[in-house]
Amino acid sequence: MALWFIRGLARRRVTTRFPAVIDPWVRTLPSPPTFNSSLLTLTVADKLVECCPSRALSHDERWLVFDVGACTSCGTCQRVVPEATGVSGVFELAARTSAQLLRRFPLQVGDR
Amino acid sequence: MTGVTVRSGGDEGQLAARLEHNIHTLFGRSLYVRTIDTGSCAACESEIRLLLAPHYDLQRLGIFFTPAPRHADVLMVTGPVIRAMEVALRKTYDAMPDPKLVVAVGACPLGGVYDDDEFAWGRLDRVLPVDVYIPGCPPSPLALLQGLLLATGRLAVKIDHVSFEVHLEATK
Repeated sequence: MALWFIRGLARRRVTTRFPAVIDPWVRTLPSPPTFNSSLLTLTVADKLVECCPSRALSHDERWLVFDVGACTSCGTCQRVVPEATGVSGVFELAARTSAQLLRRFPLQVGDR
Repeated sequence: MTGVTVRSGGDEGQLAARLEHNIHTLFGRSLYVRTIDTGSCAACESEIRLLLAPHYDLQRLGIFFTPAPRHADVLMVTGPVIRAMEVALRKTYDAMPDPKLVVAVGACPLGGVYDDDEFAWGRLDRVLPVDVYIPGCPPSPLALLQGLLLATGRLAVKIDHVSFEVHLEATK
């Protein structure tokens, strides 16, 4: 029992905390998108806002606002605008306030 | 519940820090969770159930599920808070002893799917004060675990350090 426990600690398999080693395949599961802000123009932002089924995206004249909490990781935006979006591969996104879940990306306002 | 002293009239920030410290000392190694389904599709429930599986082994962390709200420290709410469940939700919340924490689980109570639906409140924070928001549709068990540890003050917020921006050098 003691040997098993020490071996487990050495391989970081026994823990009373958040696991340090996460299975590598976890990163391949659907996760919220990332955005390439150098390619975000007003037309791209319009497309993104229109395609999002859970209304996680909105934009004004200068910023694209991404509500991580509302995102269902469906991947629609990655299919519609593949060049400006990517996969974040991050899941542990819990936050204390809803404001921490809002992400802003600057829009390239010069060219339409 | 001993050791919790919240005096009124003090500085708010100080009070919050004190409450956080109390929550950590009280709930650090013993936390009872009550889950309530307010119209979810049961995907969140299946992920919550997986927390008890040996892969995640929730009970090693001193976190347990209880069916009785009077025994619970944390209320985990799934679903878009449909109006038919509002009374049950409030009764459950009122039955819990102080101090209590509310965790919103999944995209539905965070305003993702049913934000403008007339049969649902759409967001949990329109009904109850929410302490921790766990995004995901459904959130993976690790995300739920992180949320519960965040609620008890055993883990710092990670999302502030996550960049959702792709840089051109990284994509090439």
